[in-house]
Amino acid sequence: MKRRAIVTIQGLVQGIGFRPFVYRLAVKRGLKGYVKNMGDAGVRIDLNGEEASIRAFLRDLEAEKIPIAVYAKIDVQWRDYSDEHGGFTIDDSDLGRREVKQSLIPPDVAICGDCLRELFDPADRHYLYAFTCCAICGPRFTTMTDIPYDRERTTMLDFPLCEDCNREFYDPIDRRLNAQTICCPQGGPEMALYHPTGSPIDVENPLKEAARLLDEGYTVAVKGIGGVHLAIKTTDDDPILRLRERRRKPGKPFAIMSPSLDEVEGYAAVSGLERELLTSYARPIVALRKSEPFPLSAYISPGLHTVGTMLPYSGIHYLLLHYCKEPALVMTSANYPGEPMFVSNEDAFGKLRGVADYLLLHNRRIHTRCDDSVIRLTDGQPMFLRKSRGYVLSPVALPFTSERRVVAVGPELTSTASILKEDKCYLTQHLGDIESPESVLFLREAIGHMMKLLRVSTPDVVACDLHPAFLSKDVAYELVEEFGSELVEVQHHHAHLASLMAEAGISPGEEIVTVDCDGYGYGSDGSPWGGEILVGGYEGFERAGHLEPQPMPGGDIAAIRYGRMLQGVLYGEIPNDELRSFLCLNCLDGFSMGEREIDVVFDQIEKGFNTPMTTSAGRLLDAVSCLLGFSYSRTYEGEGAMKLEAAAASCENDQVELPVDVEESGGTLVLKTSQMVRRLLELRGRHERGQLAHSFQRALAVGLAEMALRAAEVDGLNTIGFTGGVAYNDLITRIIRERIESLGLRFLRHRLVPCGDGGLSLGQAAVAAFAAS
Amino acid sequence: MGEVIKLEHGGGGRLMRRLIEEVIVPAYRRNRVEGGIGLPEMDDGASIPIDGKSYVFTTDTYTVKPIFFPGGDIGRLAVCGTVNDIAVMGATPVALASSIVLEEGLHMDLLRKTVGSMSEALEEVGIPLIAGDTKVVERGGIDELMITVSGLGIAEKVITDSGLKPGDKVIFSGTIGNHQLALMSSREGLRLDAPVESDVAPLWGMIEGALNVGGVTAMKDPTRGGVSGALNDMARKSGVDILLQEEEIPIRGVVRSASDLLGLDPLELANEGVAIIGVQGEKAEKVLEVIRRSKYGCDAAIVGDVQEGVGRVVMETFVGGRRVVREPVGSPMPRIC
Repeated sequence: MKRRAIVTIQGLVQGIGFRPFVYRLAVKRGLKGYVKNMGDAGVRIDLNGEEASIRAFLRDLEAEKIPIAVYAKIDVQWRDYSDEHGGFTIDDSDLGRREVKQSLIPPDVAICGDCLRELFDPADRHYLYAFTCCAICGPRFTTMTDIPYDRERTTMLDFPLCEDCNREFYDPIDRRLNAQTICCPQGGPEMALYHPTGSPIDVENPLKEAARLLDEGYTVAVKGIGGVHLAIKTTDDDPILRLRERRRKPGKPFAIMSPSLDEVEGYAAVSGLERELLTSYARPIVALRKSEPFPLSAYISPGLHTVGTMLPYSGIHYLLLHYCKEPALVMTSANYPGEPMFVSNEDAFGKLRGVADYLLLHNRRIHTRCDDSVIRLTDGQPMFLRKSRGYVLSPVALPFTSERRVVAVGPELTSTASILKEDKCYLTQHLGDIESPESVLFLREAIGHMMKLLRVSTPDVVACDLHPAFLSKDVAYELVEEFGSELVEVQHHHAHLASLMAEAGISPGEEIVTVDCDGYGYGSDGSPWGGEILVGGYEGFERAGHLEPQPMPGGDIAAIRYGRMLQGVLYGEIPNDELRSFLCLNCLDGFSMGEREIDVVFDQIEKGFNTPMTTSAGRLLDAVSCLLGFSYSRTYEGEGAMKLEAAAASCENDQVELPVDVEESGGTLVLKTSQMVRRLLELRGRHERGQLAHSFQRALAVGLAEMALRAAEVDGLNTIGFTGGVAYNDLITRIIRERIESLGLRFLRHRLVPCGDGGLSLGQAAVAAFAAS
Repeated sequence: MGEVIKLEHGGGGRLMRRLIEEVIVPAYRRNRVEGGIGLPEMDDGASIPIDGKSYVFTTDTYTVKPIFFPGGDIGRLAVCGTVNDIAVMGATPVALASSIVLEEGLHMDLLRKTVGSMSEALEEVGIPLIAGDTKVVERGGIDELMITVSGLGIAEKVITDSGLKPGDKVIFSGTIGNHQLALMSSREGLRLDAPVESDVAPLWGMIEGALNVGGVTAMKDPTRGGVSGALNDMARKSGVDILLQEEEIPIRGVVRSASDLLGLDPLELANEGVAIIGVQGEKAEKVLEVIRRSKYGCDAAIVGDVQEGVGRVVMETFVGGRRVVREPVGSPMPRIC
């Protein structure tokens, strides 16, 4: 029977090539009518034809959905058949289209299936063309210089459309209709190969030549979508060791990229959820469990049970891997220590001498730097370690509307900044460690760029960390001076709590309990916090409990040389001479100056000389990692805890019980950690080390959950969240969740933003929105 | 509860600067002699212009534990500290005055030794101490003794800490970190590789030589807060960036390794015999040569360049990265998360 259906779709369906997509589906099903943009009301589709065809169309709409599209609401109204339409058309009257474009800040999208087919189709004019894209895929955020999102406000401005591209751009039924970043070999960007000095190498196919050089073991810098990577082969140890030496990164895990899922499954286990993440249009790096034995070089992620893997996300990467014989290439950001990833050819020429042997670059500018995103599964759920390329800008919808516009500058390491406007908070791309003048500039620029895109001319409030010496604070002062905004300092762990509340949609006025564990945050009392049980909301918080304060001899160097931290934790638990000989015998690598350092550390602890007392969970895990011999010093953030987690990953049975004692002192709960570590010391050698690693993390989780539950009971609260960098830990998260859920309480965890410091600016912004006078 | 003074407020870092900027300086409406450098500049000393010349006036209180330490004592420190404050303003020291506060029960010998040391230092500089005051407080009122020394100097042309210009070079006149490390190791009984002695010394002779060469644009005495604090002050007040080369910074091996052992940043350790001198690029080598020939300047080195900027200090590190050298807070504090 012939019928008519009026379909209205709301969500992310405009400015992404959605109407041509609808057109093709309608024509395929022989339907008549039109598709039209309705501005805020979404997209309207008028379908006329056989009811069965209309139903098939609706199924196609879901089954063949453009990856980036989000159907928030689909409404179908059935009517009587109308034969007023001679065919199916795209109505270009564009009601409200301008406003839609005004607010559209699309993310970078991995090359789509259709473009990929063209890339390898000898008959297509995009054959082997690295920059092939269309209306639904390709770079966007990294190319945008301003809104509205039109070609002249992207870096593609440098490349005028050729006749063919121009035709496609205006052809309503072409999948490149209104595609702002399309191009082709006729006048589009080009790849070129260079020596590190900047002198070009004359080869016919730079990608193919680069692949050959990679196969031979050379390091090649590859400019992609959001910055420059260093690429190197993965089937050989020597090139990777050489790269580690050159970059002075002895142990930091490198991400790798494989041409296909098949290749990935040759070296790692991929669950259904991980497969979805890997193949999603954002193409994040996903931490996958390594196969045993691991066929690639052990130096890709030494000492870890996981390997960070991604699939190609642009023609550049597909072609490079196509020409390459390797099953995977290391693709690690090219930068100096403490500086952001290089994005310009000039930087690559100047700064990669002695690091890269060759440079594979192109002549499209990267306007906005954007690192790869990183995701891992923790307790079965995806967690963002880094939310960047493919995800920015996707705002967090807030459970409140703020009259004040807030800029939050983030913390210091693995940072992001945020802009809070009305009922949404927009996190910047990953900004990294704010320690060098270049990274301070990047922070300032990222905030400026986002203020421009979001049309926030003057922030009412600027939020920053409470720490007196964070460099991000200088940016906060600068903004305050420039705009006359109010400055709000937010305690680190309070910001974690608020970040979790905001993304979970918990309203102002409500309170939750959080297990708030990380390496370090400047406490309200000035001391180093990091293993906290907080009770509070956006408006304020109380410290209901914490881990036992431990000496941190020498301050930050105890975060680098784990032996010092271990010595601090065990000090007073066993006689000094016993402790000394244990450390000398087993943990000397945890010090950099041998036995003499151990003696000085004793002096420091005894006299309290430059020895702050910390409640940090991260530092405690470092100490235990050292005690059990998994990790002795920090060469990258979280190393000690990550290796401890890796060691426990293969142990499930828990035979070893450690004492979990929570004491109350002055109304505050304290988990006694020294005695746990002492017991571990006694058991060392009698049990397998992985088993002990498992037991310790389990005991820590039990203790933290116990404190949180007691705090929740005292305050009559029924929601307990887990936040801070330790919340990436699979085992600790699982045990805390199970304990809380088994008592019928609600367990909250991060889903939208990183639980580590990458999500902190969201919490800073939320707190500041309420704290401002 | 109202704010209270913390030890960090005297640590020579950001907290101390803010205390002075927000509480001390605004308290005095009359805070300079017309045409001269006054309190708001927060320089090493003040200036009083008279008859085409400038008198430089400064004052400093000395409290140190222990009062006798390797390489010096509180008496020598008190004279040298004030002389150096005058000297880095580009002025010839003329005379000093001192106030001494004594704790009841202090051994007379200690007082004798202290004033003896002061006298020796005065001999070395060749200036008199021409006025003084002595007070005694009850036991526990202070710790042993405190000395306040004020001083007067005279300059043809005053050198401030805010005169750096892009293109200038920055000189450290000696190895850094010795004074505070010497104090700490003797106070805490730390077992260091080799003994470290304070660098406490009067620098006028050396500075006079440098000024005679010409081209000196700015000077500062990097005491509390160390060279980090002093360089940040200079960069901020001059509106320039200072780019340091880590490998050029003069520092004794024992100080470097002790700092590493204790978790201290040698850039933040106090000095009492080092001057930071900004010199026009073309004069830098000549000035360096003169400094190196002087009694306390044999380890002097050009450590960096002045560039256009926003008032920041940046260091190119051994490993090839660039990091911002922060203004110290006032006490060491973790940052790593």
